[in-house]
Amino acid sequence: MNTDYLPILVQFLIAGGFAAVTLLISVVLGKTAQQRSEVKDQAYECGMLPIGETQPRFSVKFYLVAMLFVIFDIEVVFLYPWAVSFQEFVRDGVWVAFYSMLGFVGILFLAYLYALKKGALRWSD
Amino acid sequence: MMPAYYLEAAVVILGLVLMVMEAFVEKADKSLIAKMGIVGLLVVLVSLFFVSGPAEGDDAPIWSFYAVDPMALFYKGFALVTTILVLIMSLDYRSVLQHYMGADQEKPGAGIGEFHYLPLFTCAGLMWMASAKDIVSIFVALELVTISFYVLVAFMRRNVGSLEAGVKYLILGALSTGFFVYGLTWLFGLSGETELSKIAAALGNDDSAMVRYPKALLFSLAMILVGLGFKIAAVPFQIWVPDVYQGAPTPITAFLSVGSKAAGFVVGYRIMEPFFANHVAPQLVTLILAISGATILLGNLAAVAQENFKRLLAYSSISHAGFLLLALGCSSSTTSPVNVEGVMALYLGGYLAMTLVAFHVMCLVRAQLGSEDLSAYKGLSKRSPFLAGVLLVAMISLAGVPFTAGFIGKMYVFLMALQSRYFVIIALAVVGVGAGFYYYLKVVRAMYWDDAADDQSVQISTLSKVAMLTMVALIVILGIYPTPILNLFAA
Amino acid sequence: MSILDLIIFLPLLGVAAIAFGAPARTTAKAVTGVNLLLGLAAWYLFDGSKDGFQLTASRPLIPVPEIAYAVGIDGLSLIMLLLSVIVAFCAMWMAPAVERHEKMYFISLLLIAAGAIGAFCSTDIFFFYAFHELALIPTFLMIGIWGKGEDRSAVAWKITIYLAVGSIILLAGLIALQAQLSNGGLTFDFEAWQQRAANDGIASAAQGWIFLTLLIGFGILVSLFPFHAWAAPAYASAPSPTSMLHAGVLKKFGLYGLLRFTPMLPEGLETWRNLLIVLLLGNILFMGFVTIAQRNLDSMLGCSSVMHMGYIFLGLASWNIVAGGDPIGYTGAVLLMFGHGISIALLFGLCGRLRERVSTLEMDRLGGLGKQVPVFSFLFGLAAFASAGLPGFANFSGEVMVFFGGFQGYEGGSLSRLQWATVLALWGVVISAVYMLRAYRNIFLGEQPDGLKVPSELAIDQRLPCALLVVALLVIGFYPKLFSDLLPL
Repeated sequence: MNTDYLPILVQFLIAGGFAAVTLLISVVLGKTAQQRSEVKDQAYECGMLPIGETQPRFSVKFYLVAMLFVIFDIEVVFLYPWAVSFQEFVRDGVWVAFYSMLGFVGILFLAYLYALKKGALRWSD
Repeated sequence: MMPAYYLEAAVVILGLVLMVMEAFVEKADKSLIAKMGIVGLLVVLVSLFFVSGPAEGDDAPIWSFYAVDPMALFYKGFALVTTILVLIMSLDYRSVLQHYMGADQEKPGAGIGEFHYLPLFTCAGLMWMASAKDIVSIFVALELVTISFYVLVAFMRRNVGSLEAGVKYLILGALSTGFFVYGLTWLFGLSGETELSKIAAALGNDDSAMVRYPKALLFSLAMILVGLGFKIAAVPFQIWVPDVYQGAPTPITAFLSVGSKAAGFVVGYRIMEPFFANHVAPQLVTLILAISGATILLGNLAAVAQENFKRLLAYSSISHAGFLLLALGCSSSTTSPVNVEGVMALYLGGYLAMTLVAFHVMCLVRAQLGSEDLSAYKGLSKRSPFLAGVLLVAMISLAGVPFTAGFIGKMYVFLMALQSRYFVIIALAVVGVGAGFYYYLKVVRAMYWDDAADDQSVQISTLSKVAMLTMVALIVILGIYPTPILNLFAA
Repeated sequence: MSILDLIIFLPLLGVAAIAFGAPARTTAKAVTGVNLLLGLAAWYLFDGSKDGFQLTASRPLIPVPEIAYAVGIDGLSLIMLLLSVIVAFCAMWMAPAVERHEKMYFISLLLIAAGAIGAFCSTDIFFFYAFHELALIPTFLMIGIWGKGEDRSAVAWKITIYLAVGSIILLAGLIALQAQLSNGGLTFDFEAWQQRAANDGIASAAQGWIFLTLLIGFGILVSLFPFHAWAAPAYASAPSPTSMLHAGVLKKFGLYGLLRFTPMLPEGLETWRNLLIVLLLGNILFMGFVTIAQRNLDSMLGCSSVMHMGYIFLGLASWNIVAGGDPIGYTGAVLLMFGHGISIALLFGLCGRLRERVSTLEMDRLGGLGKQVPVFSFLFGLAAFASAGLPGFANFSGEVMVFFGGFQGYEGGSLSRLQWATVLALWGVVISAVYMLRAYRNIFLGEQPDGLKVPSELAIDQRLPCALLVVALLVIGFYPKLFSDLLPL
């Protein structure tokens, strides 16, 4: 048994446990609402009314925005570890670490300009 | 002299500049993008002769995953030439693209600018792949190529065929990537290294997990082979090829058929090479040969029945993958005096020239006669003697008639296979070549024997003429004097 | 630089000239005319008393395996070269009027001629092979575009696929032979092969299967029974100049190759001699009867050309390299190759001319032409007699030598297999006499059927090439020493 992997197991347990516990709690606490009525089954607060087709068509803009989001999200995923070890690199004089990230961000910036110009973020029309 | 990786950087920057230009300079004609790309790539191609590898004592990290050897330089040039020709083709193909971009475009050329600069990113990926010698770097380069292909294949968005091709290519591409990465992770798990040279070195160590668990190693190599099998269109991973080739815009089909295949073979050779001198070699070679035999047979026999020129070339592309795999399978026979890298480079070099000529003609015919069926080629010798002539050379070269590059490549493959005593595969190859004569000459027959339905001629721009003549010259010169390529790889 | 370079490249230059707009027919005639003179000049320059290749020139191209553009001729290739230039010249001169794609027509013909000449003059095996295949695609186009008959398309496919597969098998055999002779580095130089084979020898088992591969490969190219199905229909459909070049010259390439390589594989020949004997009897007897059954002049000529290959194979089979002895069968085979090439070219040439004039070649619907066109029928008669093996023509001297070769060393007692085969093959002479004489009688003698268009006599400029062919046949027929002295051994 390799103890190095123990944290992963723990994470699995916590993730599974969280899901199980919340489901369990809602059942336990919701006991008082066992008697159903039409009003109770309706969506409340910000929920949508369950009326219409089950698979409505979304505007393609949602996908575009979602994809752009993912791209910049990934950028952050790269930036974070880079930022953590950046100081070390600079101390060792490995400036290539700086320039390569500059290149990466630069390419993304150009892509962003392109998306902007092509109207990927324009919601109206 | 400059470090070799400047070239990839230059191509990427060129691509980015063109991308921004396309978006912001709205008045410019979109064909200008392609022309600038062609000029830029030509400059890069010339500067390929002035690059250098690491200087003595230079141990910058990049050299641990970036090779500068004859193989890398050759395939960089290969990628550049392919991309230049694809861009020239895309100029000839504009009217078709325009048609499928829909009538709602506000002005001519709108929406097809991307088609002219995206190939540059593919090119950068192919060039990087030629140099990649670390499994991470290989994977990243491969993805750059594949992802830009996803866009390009589905580019004609009002054409059902192109969309179908896009979806198929996306799903099977992702699947093959999955196999490939899975294989790589096993390899990493067994060796603990990502650098191919270190993996090769670890093979000599009897304590290495790769030596102790040969089955695991074979599994990993088989997975890698499956992943690459998709890229190079080897049986049984060839099912996507005819549909995707047929649906994709013709210049992109050409790009897929030449660039993607060459990249697959470079990567395959680089990864597999150390294992050919190893205890798993017999099984590995058997696997490669089995795939090779099936590919030669199926590719050639299935091509016989095709009536669509693009599908015909798709199957022909499969069959050529079989011959190349046969060359790869000869790697382990140490008796061979001709080295496998040289033969593969020679074969692929000739394949580039003849395939691109064929696809170029197809672009022109599609744009001006509106069809890709063989029946559209009837009487082409009347419509345009020039086109018929160059296509004739390309076809006989693909079939493997002497004095063409196609023959010399096949001859070397036969030479190596005979020395390795793979008689069964040779017998299959003989059947394949015989069938090949039939379906390649079917095109010749349509062009020369049959009469055209009307007397419409086909116009060819000077640029395209120059490009095609250059390739035809290459076919003939390589067919008689392949020594430069072979010498490049001679030890 | 050798005179052979000129002979090889002149037709290719002609091709380029035609492609760039020179008048096709004139260029083709001029080029092959000059080539004929150059061929005779090469004969003059050739020193028959010496062994080995002469008039050589070489230019290395590829280091591994060693491939060079190398030319040179010995006695055997000189004879073949003369055959090629003579037939090429006559084919161009006798080409009928061409309605469409005239340029392509003569380009194709010149390419076929250049391929044959190049193959016979090359001393590098790569070029020997490659030049032969140069003729493959032009033949395909010739039959496809200008061929006659409803099924010419199927015929064109047949010949092309047969020859392509034959060539690729041949290539495999040649590469395998090369691998056996790789002591001292891979090379495609024929003289190096000869030397290595003489010094080192080849293992007996390897000789066996390499010989078989070469026999099949070359055999397909020569229409050896049972790989002969392509030949007769192709010659019947092809335009007459193509038939002349292909049946007369190009088909000899396979025999030439076998005669060249068999000395390196003497035990291979021993191993497969019995098979070869069976196959060649198939050529002579089976195809002989098939030929008799033909109703059309052109398909009869096609079949007869397949049949006559059997005699040449008999010459090869009688060649006893291991035991030594007088290679009279070999000499006969070479003479017969020359004689057959010339006579079949003349027959096909005249047949093409006849077709142009009378529009049918069905022998039952022809007749009595002898009175109308005496010169034509005289020439045709000479060619038919030559082909049937009448004394005085080159074919006769060749056939006689082959039969002597077959019976060599017979000292009474029971007959060997080869001798039995020779006895049976002799009947082939009777068979050829039957169909040739019958064809001649049907076409030129007897009553002229009603409604037959009366042909015009052969024009003066057409008589010249015919006369040339007849003279060649007669000279070698009466004085075969001219050629047999060129052959060593």
